[in-house]
Amino acid sequence: MSAIVTTDLAKHYDDVRALDGVSVTLAEHRIHGLLGRNGAGKTTLMQLLTGQVFATAGEMRVLGQSPVENAEVLSQTAFIQESQRYPDTFRAVDVLRIAAGAYPHWDQAYADTLVAQFQLPERRMIKKLSRGQFSAIGIVIGLASRAPITFFDEPYLGLDAVARRMFYDRLLADFSEHPRTVVLSTHHIDEVANLLEHVVILDQGRVLLDADTDELHDAAITVSGRAADVDAFLAGREALDRTRLGGLATATLTTRDGDERAAREAGLDVAPVSLQELFVHLTTASATAPATAGADPATDVATV
Amino acid sequence: MRIRNVVQLHTVNRLQAFGWPLVIMSLSLTITLIIGALVVGVGGADARTGMNTGMQWNGAIFALLGPLIGFGFIAMGQYFPLALGLGLTRREFAAGTALVFVGNAAFYAAVVTIGKVVEVATGGFGLGVRFFDTFYTGIGAWWQTLVQTFLLILAVMLVGAAITTAFHRWGQSFLWVFWIGLAAVVLAVVAGALLSDAFRAAAMDVLGMAWGGWMVVIAGFAALGAAVWLTLVRRAQAR
Repeated sequence: MSAIVTTDLAKHYDDVRALDGVSVTLAEHRIHGLLGRNGAGKTTLMQLLTGQVFATAGEMRVLGQSPVENAEVLSQTAFIQESQRYPDTFRAVDVLRIAAGAYPHWDQAYADTLVAQFQLPERRMIKKLSRGQFSAIGIVIGLASRAPITFFDEPYLGLDAVARRMFYDRLLADFSEHPRTVVLSTHHIDEVANLLEHVVILDQGRVLLDADTDELHDAAITVSGRAADVDAFLAGREALDRTRLGGLATATLTTRDGDERAAREAGLDVAPVSLQELFVHLTTASATAPATAGADPATDVATV
Repeated sequence: MRIRNVVQLHTVNRLQAFGWPLVIMSLSLTITLIIGALVVGVGGADARTGMNTGMQWNGAIFALLGPLIGFGFIAMGQYFPLALGLGLTRREFAAGTALVFVGNAAFYAAVVTIGKVVEVATGGFGLGVRFFDTFYTGIGAWWQTLVQTFLLILAVMLVGAAITTAFHRWGQSFLWVFWIGLAAVVLAVVAGALLSDAFRAAAMDVLGMAWGGWMVVIAGFAALGAAVWLTLVRRAQAR
């Protein structure tokens, strides 16, 4: 069953098209990655899906209903955003108390455990917390709320590597025990790549890629070797990225059946492309390529 | 409707919601009492009478009312984004916040009224001072103070919320229009008072209006603030 469906969803601010014609379907009980460069429209999409802003055009369904001013849907969603504002006089404990009342599936014992693990000083004014401690408030709410649909928008800004690792571990462990739909927006793509089951990449307000991560493992390869051999191998094909150093060259390309074997037979080294590398190549290619239909490398990847 | 959650949002920090306003009020009252003791001790009965008359305009009560004026601004500026972030709807936020406004107005109006009854009964706490029994809170019967303070607090909170919501929606341009509009009204009133006898006479009639008329005016501001706020908040977006 689909937890989230959007059709030609758009959000325009004056002369800015923050989101334009976004159509995605996110299945329930999976961890989805929402990736994109700064300003790609990730936060806007999540704000729309949680009823925080209103769409300019298009449709959206969350748990089968419109989320706009829909208490039944919104009580089933948690939206943890890095830019969340809290009242000046609030302490973390105040926010957690309110969250405990607002989310029907809240687990207080789990929240207490997370507060201790992330060393969150509950009774200190939020405005006096470090950036990492500030992020920990959102992480505790996002996990302990056990909301059927949970959005994490860059939830760990300021957290050190150990705390980020702890977040991934807790998320995965709790997801296993209490399956729910998680939408995770992040720039630390390599760190979360193993968590994600499905990925949507937004670029300049549009969907650049929409695919299961299983499909993406073999979606692109990097070939390297003598420049003449690489050129011969590519033979007019569109590369996501191409670099040349003296007589050597490297190229990243979306794969077709038999590419890997053919490259090896051509004397080239073949290496897999990580999700982060693929993201970089796709968004870079999108930024530099002319906006012509049919020349979008992401289209090839998404249909692999 | 999750109104209870919205009420909790506004009152979860009880020290901030109720503790500090009452502490600050107590400090302000203490200062007033010290001043009263000094005046009576140094100036005697004549000074006490003069002080009692002059203190009809004692603004020390604004140590309590002042923060409440800001409550409407804070409700929309700081609590609304968090309410949306926690998945509460605008309708739930408006209903719960309106309830908190009414509750706050009733609670603090009761505090002021009880203070006034005690103050009047004890002859200004034995010193002839006025802290609760002032022009701003009503110098008539106790029930008039209750009504006047309730309406005044409710009005400023609703108008504050309306102004913040409008600013939220239209940004700096709203403030320009608001202040220019307000300046134009003030200028028109001053010009009318200076240039027109008829306008001056009419203005004096308004100023000399009975207590009930003034309450209708305050209630009108509250109703206008509520109408604007409730209309705008339904389309307010996270920023």
